[in-house]
Amino acid sequence: MNDPRLNRRNELRDATRRHFFSQCTLGLGSIALASLIAERGLGGEADAKTINPLAPKATHFPAKVKNVIFLFMAGGPSQLETFDYKPKLNELSGQPIPESFVAGKRFAFMSSSHRNDLLGVRPAFKQYGKNGTWVSDLLPHTAEIVDDISIVKICKTDLFNHAPAKLFMNTGSGLFGRPSLGAWVTYGIGSECDNLPGFVVLQSGPRGPRGGAMHWTSGMLPTTYQGVPLRNQGDPILNLSTPKNISSVQQKQLVDTVRELNLQRLVETGDQEIATRINAYEMAYRMQTSAPELMDTSGETAGTLSNYGISNPNEASYARNCLLARRLVERGVRFVQLYHTNWDHHGGPTENLETHLPAICKEIDQASAALIKDLDQRGLLEETLVIWGGEFGRTPMGEVRESTGRNHHIDAFTMWFAGGGVQRGAVFGETDEFGFGPVDRSAHVRDIHATILHQLGLDHERLKVRFQGLDVRLTGVEEAHVLHDILA
Amino acid sequence: MSTDYAMRWMAICLWASVIASGYVASSLADEPLSYDRDIRPILSENCFACHGFDEKSREAGLRLDTRSGAIDDGGVIEPGSPQSSLLVERITTSDADALMPPPDSGKELSDEQKEQLRRWIEQGAEYEKHWAFAPPARPEIPLIEQVAHPIDRFVQSRLEKQGLTPSPLAAPETLIRRLSLDLIGLPPSPQEVSAFKQAAEADFRLAYDVLVEHLLASSHFGERWGRWWLDQARYADSHGYSIDGEREIWKYRDWVIAALNADKGFDQFTIEQLAGDLLPNATVEQKIATGFHRNTQINMEGGVDPEQFRMDSIFDRVATTGNVWLGLSIGCAQCHDHKFDPISQEEYYRLFAFLNNQREPSIKLYPVTEAPVDSREGAVSGGSRIGTEYIDEREMESRKQAVEHALQAVITPFASALAKWEEQLDKIGRDALSQETQAALKIVAEKRDLREQSQLLLGSGLLVANGSGNAEAELRRLLDERTRLLSEMARGVSTMVLEELAERRPTHILIKGDFTRPDAQVTPGTPAVLHPLPASDDLPTRLELAQWLVDDANPLTARVIANRIWQQLFGRGIVETENDFGFQGSIPTHPALLDWLALELRDDSWSLKELLRKIVTSHTYMQRSHVRADLAGVDPNNLLLGRQNRLRLDAEIIRDVALVASGLFSAKVGGPPVYPPIPEGVMSQGQFKHPWKTSAGENRYRRALYTFAYRVTPPPSLNVFDAPDGLSSCTRRIRSNTPLQALTLLNDPAFVEFAEELEKRIEREGLEQAFVYCTARKPTETELRLLEQLDALNQARALLNLDETITRE
Repeated sequence: MNDPRLNRRNELRDATRRHFFSQCTLGLGSIALASLIAERGLGGEADAKTINPLAPKATHFPAKVKNVIFLFMAGGPSQLETFDYKPKLNELSGQPIPESFVAGKRFAFMSSSHRNDLLGVRPAFKQYGKNGTWVSDLLPHTAEIVDDISIVKICKTDLFNHAPAKLFMNTGSGLFGRPSLGAWVTYGIGSECDNLPGFVVLQSGPRGPRGGAMHWTSGMLPTTYQGVPLRNQGDPILNLSTPKNISSVQQKQLVDTVRELNLQRLVETGDQEIATRINAYEMAYRMQTSAPELMDTSGETAGTLSNYGISNPNEASYARNCLLARRLVERGVRFVQLYHTNWDHHGGPTENLETHLPAICKEIDQASAALIKDLDQRGLLEETLVIWGGEFGRTPMGEVRESTGRNHHIDAFTMWFAGGGVQRGAVFGETDEFGFGPVDRSAHVRDIHATILHQLGLDHERLKVRFQGLDVRLTGVEEAHVLHDILA
Repeated sequence: MSTDYAMRWMAICLWASVIASGYVASSLADEPLSYDRDIRPILSENCFACHGFDEKSREAGLRLDTRSGAIDDGGVIEPGSPQSSLLVERITTSDADALMPPPDSGKELSDEQKEQLRRWIEQGAEYEKHWAFAPPARPEIPLIEQVAHPIDRFVQSRLEKQGLTPSPLAAPETLIRRLSLDLIGLPPSPQEVSAFKQAAEADFRLAYDVLVEHLLASSHFGERWGRWWLDQARYADSHGYSIDGEREIWKYRDWVIAALNADKGFDQFTIEQLAGDLLPNATVEQKIATGFHRNTQINMEGGVDPEQFRMDSIFDRVATTGNVWLGLSIGCAQCHDHKFDPISQEEYYRLFAFLNNQREPSIKLYPVTEAPVDSREGAVSGGSRIGTEYIDEREMESRKQAVEHALQAVITPFASALAKWEEQLDKIGRDALSQETQAALKIVAEKRDLREQSQLLLGSGLLVANGSGNAEAELRRLLDERTRLLSEMARGVSTMVLEELAERRPTHILIKGDFTRPDAQVTPGTPAVLHPLPASDDLPTRLELAQWLVDDANPLTARVIANRIWQQLFGRGIVETENDFGFQGSIPTHPALLDWLALELRDDSWSLKELLRKIVTSHTYMQRSHVRADLAGVDPNNLLLGRQNRLRLDAEIIRDVALVASGLFSAKVGGPPVYPPIPEGVMSQGQFKHPWKTSAGENRYRRALYTFAYRVTPPPSLNVFDAPDGLSSCTRRIRSNTPLQALTLLNDPAFVEFAEELEKRIEREGLEQAFVYCTARKPTETELRLLEQLDALNQARALLNLDETITRE
């Protein structure tokens, strides 16, 4: 029988039995305890879900991958300075974009800073890999992996302000309170990891992403599925450390005693929720060891660290987070999301295309490429889907202030995908001569979501939860299509 | 009531708890099928999305939600003759292209459902009005020997049909803890437990009734049930969205607490919150109440279109009003006609029109320094009022003006004399004057305010010279009064309210709910499927909407509220889908009981306390919650209530229980939000790092209800136990059970602090007593032995980590 749910259930039941027979030496004799439990209808029929809501679940169809790493470039990276090569912009720089492109469109900051003049591209582009893929000089390391990834140039979103657009990319809705992608995934497939959360969030850059914790919320799903941010300072997980005046021996004794007391109550009341709580305490206790062990990268070779470009392994950085992402999927964590800020290059003194775009590209380039190579070397890339991208792109028109920048743009922007089931070395979709819109078709956020779920063996139309009378789905009520063109 | 409805009603009462899972359905194979109970759920789930109420998404022109649509117009059902009904053919065919529902819809009928549809057509394919849209009717209370309480008679008659009996009465310790947690959200002290046990031994019924009265009268009642309401009101202390800045609206929270403590009838409670500003001579308190619909988010991000987010807040208000009062997912009709319930998109925007007509200001409130003695004060044990009385800005302004008028009246007669005095003043004379007077002189005459003018008048000595000693005293008194008023005005409390616009804002149907695509204009109105608004020549306002919601003819509100109160006390409503009484909702497990509760609520002046009193004095409420093997086999989800349910406590109450057990608890009711310690780094989870100035003294140990709640970065120890985030109305909390909860109780600095205090209690009063503080019962020998292996601090930590401590049994 290959239903993982059933196997897991049997495993749990056996574990529970083993537990009763081996550890319950206090109070009631173990046999009396077991028979009491059977008498109360608590026997083998217990659904794995009531014991552990994160237990692995059967997928809708066979999965291509079991892990996701989403490298979220918060703020909206410019596709025009990175992957979408548009020489025409340099030719016509300073001239207005033809009216036909912008008539009737809405943009952010419409009333104030919106401009219609095209802005040329400063970085040079070269062709790389077996297919001659264009990549700008700002991303030399990414250029080296173009044969391992699929670049999608025609991504499209609906919302042009940061927080709603980020929410849209993460939850399929611009409204607060919907479950995030990672929550949907752990809800849909569970987790194989019994000592770390199923959905982990890592952050780097000068500030948190706009919208904050809403991006990894479980929405109307139970909080079990909420993303757990690994913190850069102090405890990696909130309240992970044993209190200062408590020794590890005392903590162990305490947890053991609480388990025995809860078992007593379980037998007395017959309430399955107590079994779930016992399970939760055991996992919490394991996390106290496994999370610091995860964060401790001292076992990584100097070669690995230098591949990622990590100079000080104890310092929080995007590069370190990429390494942690690999360590997380190695340990069975299902969904890892990295946020790196700030890609919002409007042209002001602290966020412009001259200085700050090259700097942030440098921050993410080497480590992103190293992550792909590292996963590949370890055979993890085949079972992992890696996604790189932000909430939207930037306009071909410039924002010219003291220095230059570009406004938010939702019609066409670039993301890349890599890993199990994704074509290696493909470029999908073409944009018009200015990179304003797609030549024919778009890859809407909904399509991207459907594709991610599809790779995990989940049907976006069947993955749903009933809330306030509606079936809520990640892809909402409108049509969504799996991007089969980028799939192998 | 139509015969149709009456027949259906009898059927539904008879087989009340047959729900979708159909665990007893097999025994009913020969019974006539009920459209409402058996058929509509199948059609609604599988067919109505394409063959239902929504005209625009209707396929092949066929609707199955009405009899005429299916039989006369559609011709797919031949009553009495399944073999010649196209519907049966299409759901049973092996031709994938013809099969309904289409395989690619992801929907599939089970063989049992197909058989039910077939039999229903065979039996004549009768349709019935949806139960929740027909007004509740006084049900006959079943007779059960030696059972007096109506609730028990409803519940036990249903159990009896299944051959089941209720559970015995819970232990007194369990009962007092259950009742305290349910009514005031706090655990009883060991002293209260033993007093109750003693009294119960003498006369159980009396002791229990006295306890119920005591708790209902407690000022903590409004906190416990206030939180219940604040979930639905999506209350929080910040604006939400990405910036999530602080807002001041806690006076609304306090209004809710006070209204519930005073047992304000739910009808009035409703009207004041939805339209308090429109009541004749609206009081300050009634204006504060309109904060209900100000608990929507406000987007302060740069570059956004304010109109878009104003519209979003009104969408939220329509959806919330629908969920909270009507138990209907009205929000579904924002973009298109409702797919399942008979609510058209036009009707949605007619409801929208009621709520599209306000200004959204904050009003300033000022404490009345000499609050008039309220005759109600002290009438209720524990006091039901919060803080001082408040007056609003207008009243404050008029008081200030009165004082300034009087000041002016003193000054004006001396105007010319004063000018002359000033003109003649030389340097020596000037230097001899007081500093204040000199300062006033330096200001150009035209720019002097009343205080400065008065100062000059006093300094000039003109009043004394004039022999007006009294005038001088009066001037000084008025000046003091003015200073006092001004300083009061500077420290007022502001709160967010609704204010009706004099001129109506036009409302349009929005194509696909998109505010940039207005369609036809609409006027305010209510859905046709429900009772009509009273006829009037004028367009109805929010006030009429509020009155319509609590109108006797409304079939939904009383049921929805009674059900939601039931849900708090049993963990699940009689209608499990507490915010969906529409076609897609689950049908009631005890429909007659639900109607009885709804009518009791309405007929007892909408008193929530009275309804609670009725429920908590039933055996059904008071029975044990232990799982029973005989029940588990027949009714694994305890839908028939052969026992109580063990319920994990709400997030706030988990903190409150630990506060009380440790002795740190502050009983203070109401006031501005507080900032108890939170782990470092929490506030940097949002886009902006909001300050968190940890409260000192008593405010460190207030009930969790008062913790400042940011929508985006909610307090982690509350969030982890599923406290709602205030982003949308929450009518039922999730009860998750996770490792992060364990980490919170084990390691969170706040819980360590509670444990350290409980440790002192263990040292003072003994381990057994500390156990009672946490669970209300004495530990067993085994439990004591287990705990005694630990030192006192870890004993305390163990007690706070027990599943039982955070559970209502």
